[in-house]
Amino acid sequence: MADYELILFKNMAKTGYDGSLKAYQQEGGYAALKRVLSDFSPADVIDEVKKSGLRGRGGAGFPAGLKWSFIPKDYKGPRYLCCNADESEPGTYKDRQLMERDPHQMLEGMAICCYAIGAQKAYIYIRGEFDLGAEILNDAIDEACTAKVLGKDIFGSGFNLEIVVHRGAGAYICGEETALLESIEGKRGKPRIKPPFPAIHGLYQEPTVINNVETLANIPHIINKGASWFAGIGTEKSTGTKIYSVSGHVKRPGNFEAPMGVTLREIIYDFAGGIKGDKQLKAVIPGGASAPFMTPEQIDTPMDFDSIKAIGSMLGSAAITVMDETTCIVWAAMNLMEFFHHESCGQCTPCREGSAWILQILRRIENGLGEETDLALLEELCGRIGGNTVCAFGDAEIGPILSTIKHFRAEYENHIREKCCPLRPKARLAMAH
Amino acid sequence: MSFASESTLGDGPLKTMSELVTFKVNDIEVSAPKGMLLIEAVKKAGVEIPHFCYHPRLKPDANCRMCLVEIEKMPKLQTACTMPVAEGMVVQTTSDSVVASQNGVMEYLLGNHPLDCPECDQGGECQLQDFGHQHSKLGSRFLEQKRVFPKEYFGPLVEKEMNRCVSCLRCVRYCDEVMGVTALGSFDRGNGTQIGTFAHGELDCEYCGGCIQICPVGALTSRLSMYENRTWQLKKTDTICNYCGDGCSLILEGVKDDITRVSSETGAGRNRGDLCARGFFGYGAINHKDRLSRPRLNTKGRTLEVTWDWAFNKAAEDLKKIVAQHGPDAVGGVISTHCSNEEAYLFQKLMREVIGTPHVDSTARYGYINALSALNEVFGTARLSHYEDIRSADVLLVVGADMAESNPIAGIQVKDAVRAGAQLITLDASSPERDTYYSHLPSLATQHLNIRFGTEQSAIIGLVKALFDKGIASSAPRKLVNQIKKKVAVISFAEIEATTGLTENSYRRAAQTYAGAEHAVMIVGRGVIQSEGGYQNMLRLEELSILAGQVGREGAGILPLASENNAFGVVESGASSEYLPGLKRQEAKPKALTLLEMIDAAAEGKLKALYLVGADPLRNLPQKKVADALSNLDLLICQDLFPTETNAHAHILLPAASFAEKSGHYTNHEGVVQKGHQAIEPVGGAKPDWMIFSILSNKIKEETTLPYFKLVGYRSADEVWKEAVMAMPNDWQQNSKEAISRHVAAYAEHAEIQYALQTPRASNGVMDLQLGQNRYHAGTTSRYAEGLNRLLDCECVVIHPDDAEALQLEEGERVRLSSHLSGASVELPIQLSQKQGRGALFVPEHFGLSVKGLLPLTIDRESKVPYGDRGPVKLSKVAASTQVKG
Ligand SMILES: Cc1cc2nc3c(=O)[nH]c(=O)nc-3n(C[C@H](O)[C@H](O)[C@H](O)COP(=O)(O)O)c2cc1C
Ligand code: SF4
Ligand code: SF4
Ligand code: SF4
Ligand code: FES
Repeated sequence: MADYELILFKNMAKTGYDGSLKAYQQEGGYAALKRVLSDFSPADVIDEVKKSGLRGRGGAGFPAGLKWSFIPKDYKGPRYLCCNADESEPGTYKDRQLMERDPHQMLEGMAICCYAIGAQKAYIYIRGEFDLGAEILNDAIDEACTAKVLGKDIFGSGFNLEIVVHRGAGAYICGEETALLESIEGKRGKPRIKPPFPAIHGLYQEPTVINNVETLANIPHIINKGASWFAGIGTEKSTGTKIYSVSGHVKRPGNFEAPMGVTLREIIYDFAGGIKGDKQLKAVIPGGASAPFMTPEQIDTPMDFDSIKAIGSMLGSAAITVMDETTCIVWAAMNLMEFFHHESCGQCTPCREGSAWILQILRRIENGLGEETDLALLEELCGRIGGNTVCAFGDAEIGPILSTIKHFRAEYENHIREKCCPLRPKARLAMAH
Repeated sequence: MSFASESTLGDGPLKTMSELVTFKVNDIEVSAPKGMLLIEAVKKAGVEIPHFCYHPRLKPDANCRMCLVEIEKMPKLQTACTMPVAEGMVVQTTSDSVVASQNGVMEYLLGNHPLDCPECDQGGECQLQDFGHQHSKLGSRFLEQKRVFPKEYFGPLVEKEMNRCVSCLRCVRYCDEVMGVTALGSFDRGNGTQIGTFAHGELDCEYCGGCIQICPVGALTSRLSMYENRTWQLKKTDTICNYCGDGCSLILEGVKDDITRVSSETGAGRNRGDLCARGFFGYGAINHKDRLSRPRLNTKGRTLEVTWDWAFNKAAEDLKKIVAQHGPDAVGGVISTHCSNEEAYLFQKLMREVIGTPHVDSTARYGYINALSALNEVFGTARLSHYEDIRSADVLLVVGADMAESNPIAGIQVKDAVRAGAQLITLDASSPERDTYYSHLPSLATQHLNIRFGTEQSAIIGLVKALFDKGIASSAPRKLVNQIKKKVAVISFAEIEATTGLTENSYRRAAQTYAGAEHAVMIVGRGVIQSEGGYQNMLRLEELSILAGQVGREGAGILPLASENNAFGVVESGASSEYLPGLKRQEAKPKALTLLEMIDAAAEGKLKALYLVGADPLRNLPQKKVADALSNLDLLICQDLFPTETNAHAHILLPAASFAEKSGHYTNHEGVVQKGHQAIEPVGGAKPDWMIFSILSNKIKEETTLPYFKLVGYRSADEVWKEAVMAMPNDWQQNSKEAISRHVAAYAEHAEIQYALQTPRASNGVMDLQLGQNRYHAGTTSRYAEGLNRLLDCECVVIHPDDAEALQLEEGERVRLSSHLSGASVELPIQLSQKQGRGALFVPEHFGLSVKGLLPLTIDRESKVPYGDRGPVKLSKVAASTQVKG
């Protein structure tokens, strides 16, 4: 296994590292914040982050420095930072580890960001199920405030920052940045129409930046070691390292930190130890439930935003789900659709009605009740959702369906022709009740 | 870019969008104001974009995705309901991709729809039917099981059929954005999304009906007209609501002579299409079975139903006999403020010219006359501000009004203004908390001047005094300023605080905000107009507005709230002891008697005949006194819709037509004159009031030779109207800044201003009781509306939960109210409300008579208005054994 330099996991990889303020400071923690507060103007920070090439780790890969620069400079009212820690995309579990094992790394990143955008209040919107994470963060914030590295008059600079941990209530859609804002405001978590964008009208209609946990955790390192150091890692347009959450039919599932641009093959066969039982690889989802499926032929593609996009999928959160030869693709698509159907907020007609209809068709096919016309209908129903909804959930939910029909059409046809699932022939009985 | 309120109706940002841009839609070139939403702008090219969630009254929500269109240079289809039109835009609404998307959304929406159109009350006016017809392909490929929600009754008046819902959230948004009630929400997620109230309970709200009206499909419909008709069979008539003074346009819909529902048109009328419970659900009184239908004579304890001819002859004969015996001054008449301008005009003409008596008055004497005459006295007009001014004001001062109850639509103008950023100052004794599903203006106020019960008069002094700090406008006449300054100087803020409970600071802040506004509108309610000292207190408020420079100029002014729809118009048409048509003061000889004085004169035997049109003094004045006076009369003619306590005493009882059965003009509290049209033929054998006056006048003058002979005998209300307008001054509906300042200057010369601080009342175990309006009722006619009775059908005592807890009382429990003066008592159930002031009680005035008897009556020295809605009472728990179950 190749030996890559760890950035985000570096501290926690050390034996005995407990993530406390003391431990974090022993590793040089909060030096970046201190330096920024004494030597950097907010514009300097934004410049440095821009130069580093850091792109958002929440899924869309939007350049972080550019996003921060959209906050109106001369705006008089409050501004906010929201750290997106909702991490609900099936297969993704990297933020959890970052928060639980090294909370100050992310808090320091948040503080630097707040300084850069002029925010004095920040929220961490944390997935409701993360009890431990919320507790750890709250303790870490208390600890940091007591030590005056967060809170009032940080490092005597006059800069104040209050960080609030806000726990979600179990809806995947609240990870979508505008639904997240609604949820913090105490409303039903449902995405807003854009424009206006959060940088202008965000939380409580004030200018707001929303960044993923991993994005923010990178910030102190960029400040400490410099933008060009960071830009030298990974590929030209996807800089730095990425945490890959690997799950499914692999021998060693887990989070692996490696530079952007390593291949899927290296991740699956090297980091994760290959397919369980040494079976054949059948399909891979490279970036969380919303990323289109990839085939074994495509696993030499470098894992960076542009290369994965070029072959018709997306890097997303880089949560890699590996499926071996025993997996029924129709069942897998149906399983994902169960998730999307359950999680659609229900405001857009195509997503609300489409997710339910598509799921019903998939269930029929998987259970041997498919019709010849179903595949064309599925493609059309998906086509009506893509690009036509308020939020990107609509595009996400059709990814698995369209890609499996594209790459595994024969398997769908087989289900319909044979009137049963070749890999799970008993499924129909199960549905009969 | 923000879309906030860009599409809301009326005078919002659209007014300022004067810059035009040219764009192309389906190859047609048109221009539209820059920034106008595409969905509106394309209408200029005759293009309609199908839509469900878009509604001009609401902010865009872009959830239905039906309005997607193609715009050149944009990568994806765009929602026309959120897209502002821009110069050079090229739009396609019928291209293949747009049509495919429209077909797609329709197929999605219809997939789970029950297609129960034959039994749906929305059929014929359903957007799903209409757009489905235009934008669906034949046949559906949806072969799956349909999703089924159980049908529900959503409270007593709304039917909820979620299988028909298209999830456009128009209902929820209306309730949030327009009503500010927030009773509705969407529940569950995805394909299971449905509309409900929090905690999935029954609907419990202001029942404005807005959600029913704005629902594009049959998902929310009215239970009052459930399964009654197909919509296209209904005849629609535009008219003006007959309940409160807001002046709402509404559409009566019915078949033959039966009104089966009410609707309104988005954007139309003073109400811009919004209605309240009374307007939307209150039509049941029109066709009520208890309506009087035949003229009746009561002689010597016997009741005879007679023909109209007989009744007219008898009335004319009896009146003439009394005039012959006792002179015309022995006759008096009072008309209701629900009658039309034509009727008020004709009534005063009948009294003054045909009979020749000066004694004519209206039920505006119960309070509204205070506002009209105090405004007229100072400004020479009572038309000082409009709803448009409220919506564009930056400061609103609402004094002594609970607008969500008394004048909900005027209240919506205030809510709109607050949403647009106006500061709201409220002054009353209510608590600023609101009940969960009801709006309450003080809860939106930036400053709520939470005075002690009944101390409006003293609080006004506080505001005036605080103004002298730095708020005096240069436009205020010096003489007035000096006089007032001297008068308020002798009263200290400490004294004012001792009475009202409000500190000097609160007054200063409010006075500064009010005077510092660019455009402030003062809204005055019953707490001033119809409460002790009403006339003088109104003058004091007017002086406040003059000192602050917030009257008599564009955008600033005063709005006196009326509880009855035509209080303004009836007085202005001349049915008032002090005014001839056009608010011209009359100096009659002998002096014209007011309503109350007529009762006194009857008791003394000086007044022999009384003609009451829709007036019910037995309800409003001390019963024993009125009953004695009425029985002392030789002739009592009553003209009413329903039997009342008063008209039970009538010698001649004439059945009158309701507003739905006649046409006529009504003037709302803004002074806006609007025409209502006749929807149905008079119910039973009733006749419109104007017709009755016309015929009766003819009968009386048949043997006289008076010169107005040829003027009576009108064929239509329009004919009366033409004449009534001639009797008005030329510019009666206008007012000019110059005329107003001339009047103010003249007033400043002769005004003798007195400030009287009330004495603080010691709370010796008694509570303060206020009678007033409930949001579901107006006057007493609404008691006949089945719909409204389902919301509230009996008297109750409203009390703050803290007071109830202290007295160990629970919601619905019966209590005894008693007068500590007379010892009389009444038992009523209690109702808890957060907005009720602590230590104070409220009883809706629409039902029983007995509570009134607990309260003292005082009479305004100048305006002769009887005040009997407030006073101290004792409240006690009713012992468990005497509790009535049910
Ligand atoms: C349906 C949906 C779910 C999302 N869930 C998450 C999430 O759980 N965590 C996250 O960081 N971003 C999530 N995102 C992406 C956010 O909307 C947003 O792009 C991101 O938080 C921005 O941060 P970044 O620029 O640092 O990546 C989601 C997006 C969509 C459309
Ligand atoms: S696309 Fe789906 S999840 Fe996103 S806003 Fe629309 S209905 Fe909600
Ligand atoms: S107040 Fe009641 S009737 Fe009016 S919109 Fe809200 S829920 Fe509907
Ligand atoms: S009930 Fe009517 S208005 Fe409300 S969401 Fe459903 S269709 Fe829209
Ligand atoms: S009308 Fe535009 S999305 Fe519904």
